[in-house]
Amino acid sequence: MAKLDQFENMYDVGSKPPMLRNLIRHYLPAANHPRDLNTSCFELPKLVSVLQTHRLLSESDSHSVDPKLINAWKSAVDDWLGCLLSLLSSDMSDKCWVGICLLGVTCQECSNQRFLTSYSVWLDNLLSHIQPPSDSQLVKIASCTSLSDLLTRLARFFEVKKDANSLAGKLIQPVLKLLNEDNVEAVWEGAASLLYTLITFFPASIHHSYDKVEAAIASKILSGKFSTITLKKLGYCLALLPKSKGDKDSWSLMMQKILISINDHLNEAFQGVEEEAKYDEARRLLVTPGKDLPSPLGGHTSLEGGSYNRTSSERLPTATISTLMFCCCKMLTSSYPVQVSAPVRSILALVERLLRVDGSLPPTMLPFMTSLQRELMCSELPVLHAYSLELLIAVIKGMRRQLLPHSAYVVRVVTRYFKICALPELRIKLYSVIRMLLLSMGVGMAIYLAPDVIDNAFSDLNSPAGEDFEISPANTGPALLQPSNRKRKHGTKTGSMEKQGASPKVGESNTHQTTPITVKIAAVDSLELLLTVGAASKSDSWRSSIDSLLLRTAINSCKRGWGNVENNVFLPHEPASVWADFQLSSLRALLASFLAPARVRPPYLSQGLELFRRGKQEAGTTLAQFCGYALFSLEVLIHPRALPLDDFHPAYHNPTDGASNRFPENTYSGSQKQNSLFLSAAQRTEEGAIKSHDDDLYNKWLENENNAFKDMRDTSRPNDSSLANVLEVSEQEPAAANADLHMRGEDEIVVQPRRLEEPIPKSQEIVSANADTSRPAVGTNLEGGQIESKKVLSASDRLNDIDHDMLSGVDKANFDTVGRKTSSTLPNVEKGSSSMTHLESESSMDSFPNIVDADPDTDSDSD
Amino acid sequence: MNVVIASSSIDGGIGCWDLQTGAEQLRYKTCASPPHGLASIGSSFLACSQLRDPSATSGHVLYWSWSKPQAQVKSFPAEPIKPIAANSEGSYIVGGGSSGDIYFWEVATGRLLKKWHAHYRAVTCLVFSEDDSLLISGSEDGCVRVWSLFMIFDDVRQQQASHLYEYSFTEHTLRVTDIAMGYGGGNAIIVSASEDRTCKVWSLSRGRLLRNVVFPSIIDAIAIDSGEHVFYAGGRDGKIYIAALNAESSPSNNYGLHIIGSLTDQRPVTCMAYSAEGNLLLSGSEDGMIRVWDMKTKNIVRMFRHSKGPVNNILIVRLSYPLNRSESKVQASSRRHEFSLHPPLEKYANSSDEDIDNKTIITLPDTIDLPSYLSSQLINDHIKQLQQQGSSAAAEMEVKRLKLDGQRSMEMFQQLKKVYDNLQEFCVNELLDGQPMDGSKGN
Repeated sequence: MAKLDQFENMYDVGSKPPMLRNLIRHYLPAANHPRDLNTSCFELPKLVSVLQTHRLLSESDSHSVDPKLINAWKSAVDDWLGCLLSLLSSDMSDKCWVGICLLGVTCQECSNQRFLTSYSVWLDNLLSHIQPPSDSQLVKIASCTSLSDLLTRLARFFEVKKDANSLAGKLIQPVLKLLNEDNVEAVWEGAASLLYTLITFFPASIHHSYDKVEAAIASKILSGKFSTITLKKLGYCLALLPKSKGDKDSWSLMMQKILISINDHLNEAFQGVEEEAKYDEARRLLVTPGKDLPSPLGGHTSLEGGSYNRTSSERLPTATISTLMFCCCKMLTSSYPVQVSAPVRSILALVERLLRVDGSLPPTMLPFMTSLQRELMCSELPVLHAYSLELLIAVIKGMRRQLLPHSAYVVRVVTRYFKICALPELRIKLYSVIRMLLLSMGVGMAIYLAPDVIDNAFSDLNSPAGEDFEISPANTGPALLQPSNRKRKHGTKTGSMEKQGASPKVGESNTHQTTPITVKIAAVDSLELLLTVGAASKSDSWRSSIDSLLLRTAINSCKRGWGNVENNVFLPHEPASVWADFQLSSLRALLASFLAPARVRPPYLSQGLELFRRGKQEAGTTLAQFCGYALFSLEVLIHPRALPLDDFHPAYHNPTDGASNRFPENTYSGSQKQNSLFLSAAQRTEEGAIKSHDDDLYNKWLENENNAFKDMRDTSRPNDSSLANVLEVSEQEPAAANADLHMRGEDEIVVQPRRLEEPIPKSQEIVSANADTSRPAVGTNLEGGQIESKKVLSASDRLNDIDHDMLSGVDKANFDTVGRKTSSTLPNVEKGSSSMTHLESESSMDSFPNIVDADPDTDSDSD
Repeated sequence: MNVVIASSSIDGGIGCWDLQTGAEQLRYKTCASPPHGLASIGSSFLACSQLRDPSATSGHVLYWSWSKPQAQVKSFPAEPIKPIAANSEGSYIVGGGSSGDIYFWEVATGRLLKKWHAHYRAVTCLVFSEDDSLLISGSEDGCVRVWSLFMIFDDVRQQQASHLYEYSFTEHTLRVTDIAMGYGGGNAIIVSASEDRTCKVWSLSRGRLLRNVVFPSIIDAIAIDSGEHVFYAGGRDGKIYIAALNAESSPSNNYGLHIIGSLTDQRPVTCMAYSAEGNLLLSGSEDGMIRVWDMKTKNIVRMFRHSKGPVNNILIVRLSYPLNRSESKVQASSRRHEFSLHPPLEKYANSSDEDIDNKTIITLPDTIDLPSYLSSQLINDHIKQLQQQGSSAAAEMEVKRLKLDGQRSMEMFQQLKKVYDNLQEFCVNELLDGQPMDGSKGN
């Protein structure tokens, strides 16, 4: 022993047995010694933490195999357990409590071997304390918890599975007794967590008393009298209960019972604010006509349980309804051994029904409720709405892709509710429903949801209040749902405004409703997801406005300096970090708006980069980490590595056409103005213009093409532009066979006819020349133009097999002759355009048509 | 474990090989499939459409469980179904009919949820998008169409919209032979091959043609390299062409624009599959062989012999459990995918049974939410409670309450005392009054 006491340092195994003995001596009250408990029991947490840090009960160490040491440790643990067991058998309930708690810790900490040899003794010992002779609440609760720990440990040993199952079976009756006969809420809570452990690890043990357990839990929930936490724990147990049978029918039956019970409660609660027809409708979905009604939940008629609650007060049975809905959520999102058939339609109908009730009276109804009743109901409604949104989320999670047949319905419910939803909490939840939908359903859903998400996010993010001053807690808390407050939107004055009037900057924003930052975070997050999922598809209409909105939001969020993510010791958690969350969310969304696929280079890239650079300097914060990541991922955007796949994009097609997108009025006159003298300069400027608009991708491409352009000289330009023209037309009407016709049609619509009279015929000529003779020809000599024309042709007139045969069969000679042909047409065009420019320098634009007439002639002559 | 499954247009069954070791697994019997007719339904079982007689007015669809060689479920759709496809979860099967209709079935119930007229001629191939929200179909009339499944199921929007499809690509002039979809959700590319000797690359986000590649021969099969560097096109001339997507291509080469090179197979290539794991390309050809190409070295690394006839379907399926011959093991480990439960696909959409209509058979998510040890937390909680009871605030309240109690008791005491005093006074008076009377009597 003496040798063992001389250990080297705190890591030395030799230190452990004496340390344990020391603990026993100092902290454990002796069973027969009347010692003042109060002083020692406050030390218990310390005792436990020492036990856990040094692993004093583990009895094994990888470094040491010294048998002497092992024996010493073993005997110390023996002493420890002896001490605990004597405490357990003490008459004094406080000592008993200490023993029970520490036995629970021992179950978690002791070695496998010790656990396996003695768990049944411990279990019997603990079991005796939840049965009748014991009357102390604390002891009962502690026993439940320790038993639960014991079972948790026991479940890890597969070799004793059978024994464990039968032992677990012994627990059911006492637990039921606790639930049924005890009348202290805290004890039920303990019993519920024990039940939860039992169902999770030893589902088979409950099988025989399934109905009794259901009845016991249901009666508690239906009475609706207890704290939310207790009810939730019980509800979770109820939701897991079908696992003990593990078949398809018990799950469905439980779900049906719960839904019927919710509906019955709602029928009663919503009398007077809802049309009678709703009741029948809900019922019809739940119970197929001609089939038997299942026995009510837990054997009670659901209203029987709740009725005494209602007679005493006029409030809604909110607690019961919300617990039952929580049950549904858990049933939908917990694993189950077999496939189940979920009554999706009735759940969705329930959600819709709840979300529709807003406390207003239907026009056809006579006032049935007193105003007091209505006020009470309105105060409780937000809770119910929040739970129905939770339920919706659970449905989306549980159904995954199989929600598809119902997705249109869900979207309609969500968008309709978005229009009326005014409370911050509910809006936040609604945004999270949106995110769930986007995530689980993908691109197709994004196309559908985009308009609504954008509208709402716009109005939430544009309201100035939240950015300019701190939100007061009163603003975030659930407010009463006033019927007059129903129509959210700007312009309506709300009571909460006065509170914030004190803040300096609010003067001008008084007419706007404020949006709490938490709602803004939800809105920004939803926009981010919308961009990542659906930016590619049909986003042209909203993309630019969203990009600028996100930039503004990010700048606003960052202009006050950086939020502190670490919690301030003096403040409760949320307000301290909410600003940092907002910054992070808005920067994330900004990054998404840069990275999401778009047709143009992100317009606000430079401002964004600056924000990220500044953010990165705040070393050590999540924000800086994110900004670093953002800068890293934007690098690819600035230096693209992939070649453009798009052969037909007008912007990449040729400079003229690229410019035409931006300056539609000048396109054609611009191309006409060029003559051989001005060409190189003009080309350069045009390239310059493009450079500023498009990214390096384009320049790279252009470099390859430059040679080709030089070869073609200026004459190739009208040629190119006309081809581009054809392309655009053919895109719109791919079935068209005759490109000329369409070109004319388009020109007439888009550009002023007078000015264009000239280029049209010319390009027509060239196109037709190409189409007749030189399809592959353009290809060989002129790298750039060749690719283009080939593409265009295959796109514009639908190629048939013969065309392709010709294409593949064409030989070099053919190419050459055709090439010569085209080039012979080119000088003429050149002439025409140069003569035109001469004239242009003297006369006004009106003179164009005169010159132009000559152009087609020369062309046709050459042919 | 990755397995290769393949079927042929003449009855050679469905061959199944381990891609890594090359070992042949079970051969699933009696299967003669049309191109694109073989599908693995969420890796839980195999389905294949059957077409024995081209002139027959009905075909059928067979299911095989992974563990049994015999087909287990036989469905008879209303018309011959050639291509079939399933979403990644395996909850839905779509089939393309020879009339141009697309059928949409729910696997768990076999119900025909939707049927719509998609093309003028027979549907030749069907592909789900990465996120299962879009369906791309190709047809004999040369048309490639993109369907949003939400639109298909949204009756209200359908009435507002002029057409059901999202995009309709009509640039192909002849039968579409294969479709492959790239990566990137809404921004993905679609590559389609047609008998008009072209492969066309479409942009899903812009809904238009991006690139047209003309090949020397008809392309029957395409596969996209997972980095979308290139795509592979298997031609009837026995060559597998490598065409550029994001790769550089020099314009001067033997085959044509965008075609970078080729691998030479002797026989016409009828189907292909690409395995990102190991960068392997699998090609099936008319001589019944499946060749595995290492795309790095461009060499054949393995060959599987399937049958004498042309192989027209190859799939690579990732299985979560090994395909052992001992069936009990397989069944135990695949309990979640209870095969025998799946009913055959229904012929017509009938919504007579409203109860079934309202319900959906789902596999609940596999969340792990286990209890943890609570004792030490409980000790802290209880101690905190006890301390709070002993704290000054609690004590103050307690004192107030006790004071109030004391006050009330005092009042009670005063009242009782008063009653007692009254009573005593009364009794004393009675006694005093009575005594003189007694005394007077006595006197």
